Amino acid sequence: MLNRRDFLKLVGVGGAGAAAGFALGELTKTPPAKLIPYLIPPEDVIPGIANWYASACMQCSAGCGILVRVMEGRAKKIEGNPLHPINKGGLCARGQAGLQLLYNPDRIKNPLKRNGKRGKGEFEEITWEEGLSILTNNLMELRSHGEADRLYLLTSLIRGHLNFLLADFMKAYGSPNYLQYDLFQYENLRFANKIIVGQYTIPHYDIANTNFLLSFGADFVTTWISPVNYNYGYGQMRQGEGRNVRGKLVQIEPRLSLTGANADEWVPVRPGTEGVLALGIAYIILEGGYYRGGDAKLWKDALKKYNPEAVASTTEVSEDRIKQLGKEFATTKPSLAIGGETVSSYENGVSNLVAINLLNHLSGNIGKTGGVIPNPDVIKKSFNPIATIAKDASRRKIKTLILHNANPVFTTPETLKLKDALKDIPFIASLSSLHDETTALADLILPSHTYFEDWGDDFAEPTVGYSVATIMQPAVSPLFNTKGAGDVFISLAKTLGGNLQKDITWEDFGVFLRDSWKKIYERHKGDIKEANFEDFWNDLLARGGWWDAVPKASKPVRVAASEVSAHLSSEPAKFEGNDKEYPFYLILYPHLSYKDGRGANLPWLQELPDPMTSVVWGTWIEMNSKAATGMGIKEGDMLLVESPFGKITAPVYFYPGQRPDTISIPLGQGHTSYGRYADGRGANPIELLPAKTDPKTGAIPLNSTRIKITRVNAPKSFVKMEGVAKELGRNIVQTITPEEFKKMGKEA
Amino acid sequence: MKKFLVYVIVGVVTFTIGYNVNLIYFPDLSPKQPINFSHKIHAGDNSIPCQYCHIYADKSTVSGVPNVQRCIGCHKIIKQDAPEIQKLQGYWDRKETIPWVKVYNLPDFVYFSHKRHVKAGVPCQRCHGDVAKMDRITRQAVLFGIPYARVSPLKMGWCLDCHTNGAKEFIGMQVKNGRDCWTCHK
Amino acid sequence: MAGFIELMLERFKVYREPGYYKRFDYWWAMVIDLDRCTGCGACVTACQAENNTPVVGEEECGKGRNLSWIRIERYIEGEYPNVKVKFIPVLCPQCDRAPCEVACPVYATYHNQDGLNVQVYNRCVGTFTCATYCPYDVRRFNWFTYNKKNFLKGNGGSSTSFEPPLDQQLNPDVSVREMGVMEKCTFCIQRIRAAKDRAKDENRPIRDGEIQPACVQTCPTKALTFGDLNNPKSRIAQLAGLSTAGDLHYLRESGSKISDISSNPRTYRLLEDLNAAPTIFYLKRVMKNGSSTAGHE
Repeated sequence: MLNRRDFLKLVGVGGAGAAAGFALGELTKTPPAKLIPYLIPPEDVIPGIANWYASACMQCSAGCGILVRVMEGRAKKIEGNPLHPINKGGLCARGQAGLQLLYNPDRIKNPLKRNGKRGKGEFEEITWEEGLSILTNNLMELRSHGEADRLYLLTSLIRGHLNFLLADFMKAYGSPNYLQYDLFQYENLRFANKIIVGQYTIPHYDIANTNFLLSFGADFVTTWISPVNYNYGYGQMRQGEGRNVRGKLVQIEPRLSLTGANADEWVPVRPGTEGVLALGIAYIILEGGYYRGGDAKLWKDALKKYNPEAVASTTEVSEDRIKQLGKEFATTKPSLAIGGETVSSYENGVSNLVAINLLNHLSGNIGKTGGVIPNPDVIKKSFNPIATIAKDASRRKIKTLILHNANPVFTTPETLKLKDALKDIPFIASLSSLHDETTALADLILPSHTYFEDWGDDFAEPTVGYSVATIMQPAVSPLFNTKGAGDVFISLAKTLGGNLQKDITWEDFGVFLRDSWKKIYERHKGDIKEANFEDFWNDLLARGGWWDAVPKASKPVRVAASEVSAHLSSEPAKFEGNDKEYPFYLILYPHLSYKDGRGANLPWLQELPDPMTSVVWGTWIEMNSKAATGMGIKEGDMLLVESPFGKITAPVYFYPGQRPDTISIPLGQGHTSYGRYADGRGANPIELLPAKTDPKTGAIPLNSTRIKITRVNAPKSFVKMEGVAKELGRNIVQTITPEEFKKMGKEA
Repeated sequence: MKKFLVYVIVGVVTFTIGYNVNLIYFPDLSPKQPINFSHKIHAGDNSIPCQYCHIYADKSTVSGVPNVQRCIGCHKIIKQDAPEIQKLQGYWDRKETIPWVKVYNLPDFVYFSHKRHVKAGVPCQRCHGDVAKMDRITRQAVLFGIPYARVSPLKMGWCLDCHTNGAKEFIGMQVKNGRDCWTCHK
Repeated sequence: MAGFIELMLERFKVYREPGYYKRFDYWWAMVIDLDRCTGCGACVTACQAENNTPVVGEEECGKGRNLSWIRIERYIEGEYPNVKVKFIPVLCPQCDRAPCEVACPVYATYHNQDGLNVQVYNRCVGTFTCATYCPYDVRRFNWFTYNKKNFLKGNGGSSTSFEPPLDQQLNPDVSVREMGVMEKCTFCIQRIRAAKDRAKDENRPIRDGEIQPACVQTCPTKALTFGDLNNPKSRIAQLAGLSTAGDLHYLRESGSKISDISSNPRTYRLLEDLNAAPTIFYLKRVMKNGSSTAGHE
């Protein structure tokens, strides 16, 4: 039992303990939160209330308008700009994830100088003064040696006034070598349009108003050209208000894409024969007498060898099917044929696209609502294929290379030897927000603003039949010690002097932009009608852009049969590798989340399940399970994929929407120097490709090789989110047939 | 040995209790501010209305700490020589903001809008106490002569007092759907 | 004392009794047109951006711990070349007779006056009962405090879900949830709240189309529509064919099937037989019968 003495002792101990605890609590109390007021409040900021700044999305080249929600100086959310004619308020997953680019933990925070061997990724932080003076000195030296033309500038697709500024800069400096590069430049499509529509542009495909959409491998709901606009069109085509007929979509492609999954019919054509199939359909249109032009005879002669019998044996699409497609395409009005990335990415991409475009001409869809609507001409740089850079670099023609947001090292096949060629360039500077595979080779990195921190504008191409210009304004103040690319070039021009100083006189890019927009204002066109420039500018910033919603009357197009037929080829596209050794066609496709790989560093996109396979955070190989029988391959097994040019390893996913003789792999993963979220994840299938580019357009044919597969033992597989791919009679996604739908009449 | 263990246990237990008692029951209710700003002088003696300085109270979720420019706006002229004003001037000259210490702090999971309460006619004093009498802002209230109670406890039950029926007394109407968790929880 | 407890329990019970609110003030509901939906996933990312939903990483995804409040379910039927793929976005349908509400032992989930199924994070103790009862599998559990969990261990670099400066993107209108809490779609309650706030300032009811949850706002094909079912003129009532159905509150009690009420034969509710009365109305996809997207072959 406790005696009195012990009790007192215990009380003492307890008291002392409590006091000590109390005292410690007093000392270690978390400091109260601080309440920091503004020194001088910004005019338009009310704490706790969001401001919305209009801008342009730069996640792909579609040119959607966005609104950025900013609270107390921080960007919180991106939404589509409902006024914008391209995306009409919608935005795709990549657009939504743009904020993770702005707030990416792998952003380059300060200017960096190479410190160690090139490509080792060792850099030291320097100041902007030092960084700019290194670049200035280099450029001065180059010019003083009379080698100004050996400066190359390689950027991503830039279409706004920054493009003009850079062009002016390069001109004044004395170098013709201002190049833009993107894996998906749609150059083939422009080329094909030149032949059929008469314009070197991408027209507006009026999906919203068409009643029959014949899509040759155009995956327009995920990545193709302007996905949000086409998605909107798709929605309208199916269930648009005030529409009497539900538009029909037929997808022709060897691999069932997301667009194909939404189609009414899928035609699993033999890879490389889409162009031939298009000509077979054209033949039916002519035979059936649906073509209204006077030169039908000439066309018939030009296309006489594409009779259904011959086409059926080449394409593996039945004769009946070809006839039925031709008839339906010609008789349903309006109808529309589009040729997408799959078709464009064969080595005969241009002739495929010409053939597909021809269908629009033959059934009179060009210039019609619900057909092909020509777009206003855009100021377009002359095109320089990436192969020339590799060539020029390896010939030691390039002395200094300035990069801005372009990452060709990742998106060109290793067989092009671009990386090795770049290593030979004496000096590479990169103006980039993030490290990437190309920036990794730089000697000097000048971190640039992201599109949330900088002024800018964008002229969308293609637009929707009339001119659309989107303005970008700094929605947040720069997060790190970065500068806008425009500002860097303006300050370079100042220090370099000479012509540059004469031509580039603005104090910064924002001023330049405003001055340039005065010219647009002075035309007094478009939707913003204001009496003075000041109001015009404010309206512009508030609305997010300027557009001239008066559709231009389309010019009649003269297409000569003889001219077109020179561009057609009756041969299926060639694939490298013989079919004995390499039994499968390889189809590479831009992935919904990463497109050409640029989205791989954004965790939201990495964790967005792929719509078809539900795989997250990795690469996979899509293969038909029929093809795997007898090979002892189970789903999830790691496969070694070999082409005559390279090899990769990735797990296999059994996908019934795949021709058994074809294997598809999504692009985008397999980065080596693209930040923590992307590095060492999956594989880059571009490594499997031959060193080929299209001679006319410079495009890299993604679908140009055959492959073989072997099972390898590796523990790693993919992670997929799907449980069961079957409904098991639960009737989850209910459907009604088109016939029933017709009977319904219009919805309430 | 056994006895020693008992001492240790008792010590540890009481230590923990003491520590937590301090944290929970003795928070710093009237923290020292970087400038000895007196609400008594401003709101009391000079009867400046609350929203003259807390300008966002009827516009936003937060009432807004006055920005330094607003302070300087008056004190360019008034009482330039007072030592506390000198401090203010110092911040202004250095172009620094004043790191005020937060007295009323709501947890992150709570949605609270000053605007709704001000517009409903809830007097500021209802939650913030008679600020016009405070030299330094405090949440400490005196009950039966003992300085233990809070001006407002900022606990959920206290919010609900008004949100269920208490509000009738002073704004003349019941809070609509005051019992719905999603009124305040976010 | 026992009487008091009984009284308390009684009061708790009525709150979550299905149909406790005879009439909803607003009756928030959604219409999803499956014939417009392409399964592109924009809504999934938009939701993640709006609602501070953490990224959990590859390993956790592999354990099925992905926290997305909205997901696109994909069903593949048939074999090559007769493949039929169907998509359906699934999010919490705010069931009128929600099984989860009856389940929760701590009353962390209940139905509110606006027809919403409320999840109170502060009350939730993570018994997982609601998720077990939920027929739609839309409740997501925080197995970890993901903003403290470094999910890229294998890949180098610290990478919690909101690795600074990614945390600067966090929406201040939505709580960041911690370990042991169940969470789910709220129909973007913060946007509803903001709209109510605005409407109250202007002394008017909320306009039709004024509230757009993040998923609805971003949908490129406009497959999703949000609105008030109390208003027969609202866009959703028209789309779902309920604008002429009369008093839906009455029909609510009768438990009739949506096909009996709706004038649009395309309207259906997901797993309606389970009788949870979800308030998301799907419009059937128009699609050929049988197993053929491949038409004639």
